[in-house]
Amino acid sequence: MNIKITSKEYVEYIELVTKKIEENKDYITKLDSITGDGDHWVNINMGFQKLVENKELLLSLKLGDMFKKIGMLIMSTVGGSSGVLYGSAFIGAAKTIGDKEEMDINLLCDVLEAELNAIMERGNAKPNFKTMIDSMYPAVNALKDALDKKLDDYDALQAMKQGAIDGMNSTKDMEAVRGRACYQPNKGVGHLDPGAVTMCYQLEVLVDYLCK
Amino acid sequence: MKKIINNPDEVVSEMLQGLVKANPQLQYSKDLEVVSKIDKENKVGLVSGGGSGHEPAHAGYVGKGMLDAAVAGNVFASPSPDRILKGIQEADTGEGVLLIIKNYSGDIMNFSMAKDLAEMEDIKVEMVVVKDDVAVKDSTYSTGRRGIAGTVFVHKLAGAKAAAGGSLDEVKKVAEKTIANIRSMGMAMTSCILPGVGVPGFSLGDNEIEIGMGIHGEPGVERTTVKTAAELAEILCNRILEDYDYSDSEVAVMVNGLGATPLMELYILNNEVEKILSEKNIKIHKALVGNYMTALEMSGCSITLLKLDDELMNLLDAPCDTPALKV
Repeated sequence: MNIKITSKEYVEYIELVTKKIEENKDYITKLDSITGDGDHWVNINMGFQKLVENKELLLSLKLGDMFKKIGMLIMSTVGGSSGVLYGSAFIGAAKTIGDKEEMDINLLCDVLEAELNAIMERGNAKPNFKTMIDSMYPAVNALKDALDKKLDDYDALQAMKQGAIDGMNSTKDMEAVRGRACYQPNKGVGHLDPGAVTMCYQLEVLVDYLCK
Repeated sequence: MKKIINNPDEVVSEMLQGLVKANPQLQYSKDLEVVSKIDKENKVGLVSGGGSGHEPAHAGYVGKGMLDAAVAGNVFASPSPDRILKGIQEADTGEGVLLIIKNYSGDIMNFSMAKDLAEMEDIKVEMVVVKDDVAVKDSTYSTGRRGIAGTVFVHKLAGAKAAAGGSLDEVKKVAEKTIANIRSMGMAMTSCILPGVGVPGFSLGDNEIEIGMGIHGEPGVERTTVKTAAELAEILCNRILEDYDYSDSEVAVMVNGLGATPLMELYILNNEVEKILSEKNIKIHKALVGNYMTALEMSGCSITLLKLDDELMNLLDAPCDTPALKV
């Protein structure tokens, strides 16, 4: 199969992610109450709800402009660290997309990598810091490897999804270096990082949507 | 919680509206929580900002000879990049803009993102980071030293350089030189209550103080018992003097209150600071005593020293006219 993502597909995907985040309110809030200050679900949910509210506006924009708008909306709605990190990710992706009207698997890979790099740079963070990066980094690398091996889009995306899930699970035993959990005496050890979980949702839903 | 407020969600917006009503030379951008000068001068623009709750910082320093715009976040929370971008747009007259940021991870991320956005609009932006607090190396909200009251001196000196027609690079150099010569150290005697929270974030016993506590109530160096003004001045000044060589120099001093400490006590402290410095042959060129960067109704203080040379002295003495500081 060959995937194709225009503004229309991406907005459909955003709606599915928003639903997935909504459904996991209690789980994410509980996780963040143990390791952080308990507001991660509220913030990330507020950001995605705002995107859905602005669906028509997003649909009217070209792909790159849509990504920039998504970044600006999340930034101003969510605020704090999550807002600026996600904002940087989408605006970084917008630069990579430029004036292209649609994404194939290779451009999607470049876009995800641009998002990852923007988050790492803005947050001055690396893998193994017990953050959202720990879901995204292995996912993007798995996708790159699969594409290097000339795997079919379907198999490459499945590899990415597995990378995200494994990455999310690996945060359980990590000591936090960034985020509120690093001020806990035990550095959040024994619990998944809520930011890594919500990032994993986004990557999983993207794969499921594209492979349906 | 006893506070003169209406709705905790509106405190920032209502405070800034009140500030502008008392200072008609300033304007307020609703929803983006930016305060800026109405009369634009053709010069390098200066923008500062951060969480609210530190009044008169930051909007109180907008005016001739200091800032061109100040951006307010929610109480003790960094403003988002779209707000900061508005501040940059208000301050830019084509000569470029300098961002003066205090070293907190949230502020660094949000201000750098705003810088990127402004550069996408072809505005020249540079930034400097103030990290004057000698109390702790890393803290709850910062990697490396925190920025506290010494930031006011950076607003003042960089502002004077911009008013004198300095280029963006020259203004940035002055800001960096000022930052390099500033050290601060504080202490707190009580907690404070965030309007949206309603209860104190921590508690200090009747006979307890915390040396080196940050302006958001972040942990400091040690909890100890109540001290005399002379002992406190000794503790705070010594930390500063151990960290940077002020010997035989001329300095500006700031004795800053955290919001609930009476001026009487700040003047008593200033009296002790002067004794300590003169014993060490450090000459005070100017002393500022008052509430310059607070933490809501926390009681406590900070002491700041700025080492002066001829250039910095002239910039410090240059006129400025803002709600919170007039020279």
